[in-house]
Amino acid sequence: MDEKFDCIIVGAGVAGLAAAMTLARNNMKFLLIERGEFAGAKNVSGGVLWGNDLAKLVPEYWKEDAGWDRFINHRRLSFMDEESCFTVDFKSSHFNEPPYSGVVVLRSKFDRWLADKVQETIDESDFAMESFIATNILVEEILMEDDKAVGIRTGDEKFYADSVIIAEGVNNLLTRQVGLQDDYVPADHMLTGIKEIIQFDQKKLEDRFQLSGKSGLSNEFVGFASDGVEGGGFLYTNRETISLGLVLGVKDLREKEKKPHDILNKFKTHPVIKDIIKDGEVVEYSAHVVSSGDKQVMPKKLYKDGLLICGEAANLLMNAGKAIQGMDYAMRSGILAAETIVDSKEKNDFSEHSLQEYEKALNDSYVMKDINNFQDAVHLLHDPVMTQKMPNLICDFGRNFFTIKNQPTKKARTILNESVKKHASYWDLIKVGIKGGKAL
Amino acid sequence: MKLLKLPERLGLVNYRNQSKSDIKAHISVETDICNSTCPHKATTYTCPANCYTVDDEGVVHFQVEDCIECGTCMYACDQGAVSWEYPDPEIGRGVNWNFG
Repeated sequence: MDEKFDCIIVGAGVAGLAAAMTLARNNMKFLLIERGEFAGAKNVSGGVLWGNDLAKLVPEYWKEDAGWDRFINHRRLSFMDEESCFTVDFKSSHFNEPPYSGVVVLRSKFDRWLADKVQETIDESDFAMESFIATNILVEEILMEDDKAVGIRTGDEKFYADSVIIAEGVNNLLTRQVGLQDDYVPADHMLTGIKEIIQFDQKKLEDRFQLSGKSGLSNEFVGFASDGVEGGGFLYTNRETISLGLVLGVKDLREKEKKPHDILNKFKTHPVIKDIIKDGEVVEYSAHVVSSGDKQVMPKKLYKDGLLICGEAANLLMNAGKAIQGMDYAMRSGILAAETIVDSKEKNDFSEHSLQEYEKALNDSYVMKDINNFQDAVHLLHDPVMTQKMPNLICDFGRNFFTIKNQPTKKARTILNESVKKHASYWDLIKVGIKGGKAL
Repeated sequence: MKLLKLPERLGLVNYRNQSKSDIKAHISVETDICNSTCPHKATTYTCPANCYTVDDEGVVHFQVEDCIECGTCMYACDQGAVSWEYPDPEIGRGVNWNFG
C-alpha cells in the first residue's frame, strides 16, 4: 500500500459506504477505513432509510432477503397525554411495490451487508487489488500540508491520497480537528437518541402490528413520550424486533434535570405503549446523538483543499414533522462527494476550488433544499407549544369527543373550544398557526 | 413487560475488550471543574449510560467502562471539563453493536 490513493474515506457508515460504492463503480483507487470491528459495529440509527437512493447503490436490493428489515407502508403520528393517544394513521398498498419509499434497517446488519456489496464492486473494478475496506483501524489524524489534506495517520502509520472524505458520524472529532467545526458544539440544537430493541416471536409481531410479508410500520410520538422535554418518541418494526426509543433535546434535559433512561421507562408505562410492547423482551439498549436539523450546527463549509465532509459529520439530519431523515441525507451526500472526487480526478485538481462543486451539488439536491426550506418547521416542532400543549389539547378533545354519556351531546366546536381553553390559548394557536403557515 | 433498570440495560451491551482490565479511556474528564465551578453537573443525569455519578458527599465521579459512545456528554458539558477521542480498537473500550 505504498502508492497514493485517489481517495481515503474515513468511516464505513451509510455516507462512507455510499461514497465507496460510487468510487468503486468509477474505477477509483481508494481506501475505506472503519474503526469498528466491521462496518456497522459502531453505528446506531432509529431507523428508517427514507427514499430510494439505496436502489442506485444496490439495484433491485429488494430481491435479496438480506440487509434491510422491512419496507414501510404504514405511517402513524401519535399525540399523547398521560392516559391517551390520538393517532393520525395512514396505510396504503400504494407503498407495497418496489421501489420502496422507505426501509427499516438495523445498522449492525445493514452496514455490514452494504460493505459486502461495496467489496463485490471493488472486486469487479480496475483496482480490485489496490482498493481496500480496512476495519478495526482508528484514524487519529487527518494529515494536512499547507492547509491541504494529504492523507491520514493511524498509530505510526501514514497513508496518503489526493483526497480525503470524512464520513465519521455526528461526534465529528476529525471535522473539528481540521477546523471546519468548532471544538465545542453547544447543546442547543443537539438531541440524545436512546433506543431499545425489543424482541417478539415473529408471528406475534406480525399479528400485533398487522404486517404482512416484509411490510412495516413507523410510528412517531409527541407529548407525554418525552416527559416535558423537547423531542419525541419513535417505534419502527424490524423483522423480528421493534425499535422503540426517544429523541430528547440535550439542552432541555440539562435545564429540566431529567435522565433519558428514566423518561424511556415512563414512556413504556404509558397505557397505550404498554399494550404495544406486551410480552416483548429487550435485547439491546443503545444511544446516539443527533442534530435537530437547525443549520446553525452545520460545519462552516463542507470542503477544504483535498477534503470533503459528508453524512452526519456534516450534521445533515432533519425532522420537519414528516419523518426523521438522516440516513438518506448521508447516502446522497456520500454519492455526491464521491462524484466530485471522480470529476476532480479527471481534471487532476483536488483544490478547494474544484471540491467546492460538492457543496454546490448538495445545495442543488433535495438534501439542502429541504434543510433550507424547512428551517421554520424545525423550529416550530421544537417549540414547547407543539411538544406539550398541543398533544394535551388534542388528547383532551379526543377524550371528550369520543365520550358518550347518554346526555345531550355538545357540538365538536364547543368541545374543541373547551380543550383549547384548558390546555392552551387561542393566542398560542394563532402563534403556531402563523409559524405553521410560514413553515409549511 | 418488565421495565429494565439501567444496569440491566447496560448488561445487554456488547462492549469491546471486556476481558482487559487495563483499558485506555477515550474520554477524559476534569472532575475538578465539575466539583468546583460547574453550576449544573448536567452529565450526571443526561448521560444515558450513567458514566457520571454523584456520591453522597455531592462529589462527581466518572468511569468510562459503561460508555456507549453516544456523545451526549460532549454537548451537555458546557464547562470544558469533558474531552473526547475515539476509543482505540485494541486497548480502548466502547461498543460493538449486535443490532445497532
